[in-house]
Amino acid sequence: MEELIEKIKSNHSLSQEAEDYLHSISSKKSFAKGEVLIRQGQQVQNVYFVTDGCLRSYCYDKNGKEHTLQFAIKNWWISDYIAIHSDESATLTVECLKESEVVKFNAKDLELMLTLFPEFERFQRKILERHVVSLNKRILNQLQLTASERYTLFITQYPEIEQYTHNYHIASYLGITQESLSRIRVENAKH
Amino acid sequence: MRVLQIVKYGEIKDSLAFNEVSKPAVQATDVLIEVKAAAINPIDKSIVLGNLQGLLPIPFPSTSAYDVSGIVVEKGDDVSNFEIGDLVYSRVPQEQMGTIAEYVAVTSEAVSKKPGNISFEEAAGIPLAGLTALQSLEFAGIKANDRILIHAGSGGVGSLAIQYAKAKGAYVYTTTSTENVQWVKELGADRVIDYKTEDYKTIAKDVDIVYDTLGQKYTAEAFEVVRKGGQVISVVGPLDEETAKMFGMADYKLPEELATLSAEKDASYKFIFMHPNGAQLAEIKTMVEDKKIKPIVDTIYPFTESVAAFTHLETGRAKGKIIIKIN
Repeated sequence: MEELIEKIKSNHSLSQEAEDYLHSISSKKSFAKGEVLIRQGQQVQNVYFVTDGCLRSYCYDKNGKEHTLQFAIKNWWISDYIAIHSDESATLTVECLKESEVVKFNAKDLELMLTLFPEFERFQRKILERHVVSLNKRILNQLQLTASERYTLFITQYPEIEQYTHNYHIASYLGITQESLSRIRVENAKH
Repeated sequence: MRVLQIVKYGEIKDSLAFNEVSKPAVQATDVLIEVKAAAINPIDKSIVLGNLQGLLPIPFPSTSAYDVSGIVVEKGDDVSNFEIGDLVYSRVPQEQMGTIAEYVAVTSEAVSKKPGNISFEEAAGIPLAGLTALQSLEFAGIKANDRILIHAGSGGVGSLAIQYAKAKGAYVYTTTSTENVQWVKELGADRVIDYKTEDYKTIAKDVDIVYDTLGQKYTAEAFEVVRKGGQVISVVGPLDEETAKMFGMADYKLPEELATLSAEKDASYKFIFMHPNGAQLAEIKTMVEDKKIKPIVDTIYPFTESVAAFTHLETGRAKGKIIIKIN
């Protein structure tokens, strides 16, 4: 929790009252590798701030194949935002790829915090802005970059994720086959 | 719910029928799986024909098949290792046989989450053949640099056994017909023997393990090619004495021919009777996700064409698994 408070205060002001309220609506949780925080098809109430470990959100298609949407490491947020903001059942599953620690927030409590403490709204807006930029970049990269370039960007930005993931997690995240990913890795190893 | 049932012993075209039955009851240790796909195996055909009446008698009507992949939609009170919504696969126990159905209740010990990188149809084709291969080769203690002959490399069990053996670092000889040589090579076998043009006995000599998936003369011939002190593992030959005792056949003796060959070569003989095992399916799941094992699917039939699927199975010419898509 202290990591989150520090992260907020590094760029925003946060009153003691707001800080205390944030503490009161949070709970620290530990999960083992393989544990599931959100399950596709179920109701979603919580969002998670990662303080240690590595998580993944994914969905499965009608044929039963998994597709990775997002990874989350330290200081990242993860949840099924479609479910939370549309009041629908989860379309994603969120699982731990290694032993992880998170701070859990009920989404409605966070929503109330925005009303009680307007300064927190700026922090949330900045997160959303960065998220929109990240999503747009990901779409553009998918359109403009080769698979090899997308992989190089991925491991440059997130060097530690590879050690916790299966080959197929990364392949589906990049939108390529496992065979293509293996070929790219072999090529990269030569250079 | 709709199911495909065996209504009598006899020819495929006369012995299978679609029926409406109740959804299965879920015991405390069961999960209820909404079936997305089922797979049929040679044992399913043998049961319909009545060839296994003595060993595996069934009441009529009985829903057919053992292999399944689908989604957990209910679970018993004592189940803690699965949740509603989990995508799973299983080779169900004998008493819960009946996966060509909309739902099947299975003891959770026989179930595993399915590999995430393959479809329900591909996953359904793995359990029975995969467990047969894994349990056979694990019994043999297969390890790096072992030399193994796997017969019928294009078959359901053979194709998975090749991949499992290669994952363990063994050198793999396999037999298959001309038209299958290329794709069996692509499974990773080191030496693919075209039995139509080559004599495998002159090529695969003094191997550490012979994996007999053909039976008949091939079981005895296994002792010609296995090395002194090696192992012959069979899933289609006669029972070995220890396995026969497990089935209550206390006075059973290995056929004299095999007993003599086994003694002369000082090579052991073992019949592997595959059993359901969720933990081993979880091991296979990891190997599939790591691309050490890939499923081989011949044809996917819609539920309404299940009898055609059995007819195809009967030809013995399928390259990989025959799958029935249920939902």
